[in-house]
Amino acid sequence: MSYISNEQTYYELLEISPDAPQDEIHRAYQRAKETYSPDSPALYTMFTREEALELSKLIEEAYQVLSNKSKRRDYDLQLVGHSKLTPEELSNDSQVLQDGQQTTIKPQKTQSAEVPSGHKKTRFGSYQVKNEMEDAIENTMEWDGSFLRKVRVYKNISLEQLSAETKISRTYLQAVEDNNFDKLPARVFVRGFVVQLAKALGLDENKVAKSYMNMVK
Amino acid sequence: MNNVRKINRGIDRPKARIIAVAGGKGGIGKSFVSSSLSIFLANIGHKVVSIDLDLGCSNLHTSLGIAPPPKGLQDFILKPETSLTDIMHPTSFAGLSLVGGNNSIDDVTQLSIPQKSRLMSSIYHCDADYVILDLSAGTHELTLDFFLMSTDKIIVTTPEPSSIENAYRFMKASFFKFIKRYEYQYQLSPVIAELMTQQKQLGIRSPNDLLKRLFKEEESTSLKQQIERFKFNIILNQCRSYKDIGLGHSIKSVSQKYFGLPTEFLGHLDYDNAVWQSLRSRKHLLVEHPHSQLYTQLMQMSRKLAHTEIRRVAS
Repeated sequence: MSYISNEQTYYELLEISPDAPQDEIHRAYQRAKETYSPDSPALYTMFTREEALELSKLIEEAYQVLSNKSKRRDYDLQLVGHSKLTPEELSNDSQVLQDGQQTTIKPQKTQSAEVPSGHKKTRFGSYQVKNEMEDAIENTMEWDGSFLRKVRVYKNISLEQLSAETKISRTYLQAVEDNNFDKLPARVFVRGFVVQLAKALGLDENKVAKSYMNMVK
Repeated sequence: MNNVRKINRGIDRPKARIIAVAGGKGGIGKSFVSSSLSIFLANIGHKVVSIDLDLGCSNLHTSLGIAPPPKGLQDFILKPETSLTDIMHPTSFAGLSLVGGNNSIDDVTQLSIPQKSRLMSSIYHCDADYVILDLSAGTHELTLDFFLMSTDKIIVTTPEPSSIENAYRFMKASFFKFIKRYEYQYQLSPVIAELMTQQKQLGIRSPNDLLKRLFKEEESTSLKQQIERFKFNIILNQCRSYKDIGLGHSIKSVSQKYFGLPTEFLGHLDYDNAVWQSLRSRKHLLVEHPHSQLYTQLMQMSRKLAHTEIRRVAS
């Protein structure tokens, strides 16, 4: 899985706009590959051989992601998540799929419309309300991984469901719950994960993310 | 001394669009491109002044297919009472006048600072729609200054490695000269010096990296705006194969990645024996061969240049 370099996006690297259709991406890739092949005459005196090889590698990586519809969609969503893109700038594919996600969630919501008394609804199903747990969620000031796990178990949500909803891999979700920061990527990404996770759990994502990020150094 | 006013960089706007045609290497077709663009822009109905700024070896008149004009830049430079209008020479093309270079034996390649600023100021306030500057080869300071005063910066190159190398050389030289001006204006030297001591750690390898860092350090948005106005336009001349055209796109991409500045590939021109044949017969190609592929390519290029202005005004 690739992540956004802090310098330039794959779109900037291939010099195309984020809503470029597939054939344009392919053309841009072929042009870039030729331009940055180490013995290209256009590089002469501008980039060294090593720099050219490094750029070529990045270009391959960019094409691997952007030429694959689902990888590109995930990448686009990441860009939006890090406000490097606005949803309007996305390719049609990604926009459609974003809408698609919402429509697939809706029927699940209607399924769980009728819940037994003493139960509450979540995005995934329902759970039995326990007052001491509700108080804890209301009053806790320290949101760490283990408390997030407690909330998830209390609300009858599995890691698989969370992963499907948030598009974050199980490994990362588990690392967040284990407070295992070594396994996690850079801070910005972790914050993104926690925000998504908190939203899916029906929590105040700002409060949770702020508290959680205090632990991440 | 008429027409002498102070140039306020970036505040005052020139009357005309000033198109500088440069390239670094000699014999790559700078004069051919300048003369062709001048003729086409005049043909569309603009008032065009073509200026031969190759003070050492002027020959723009030959490219245009006319005899050396009786008065040239040497008159303007050596006689302060002469204005630029006085040495404009009408051509056989309606709307196009030529300011010839030096065709006397006087050496005017080394201009004093007042001479230079008087010439630049006159060009800046030249009453026309387009002023085309045909620059000399090499990265002489005077050439760079004329290049930097232009509103449209054209780099001509051919697919030959030596020509590409010299084009890059020229681009780098002009870019650094450009940055130097702002270095003083915005007191950037200490910031740049500081950044360069940490060059390795910060991963600064190209001007692009340096500019990005600089913009991070300097809050000044006006600096960013000024620098982002700087744009190279590439023309690839003497293309012999389809592969050569791809090279134009490659040069554009490399320049953008290296300098971090917008670069446009204006187009390519085919290699055509008709060019030197028409030079021999002292008639411009556009007159001799109006049905050639080159004619179409040059016309498209001129329109593209003219349209950027229309787009800019319209938006």
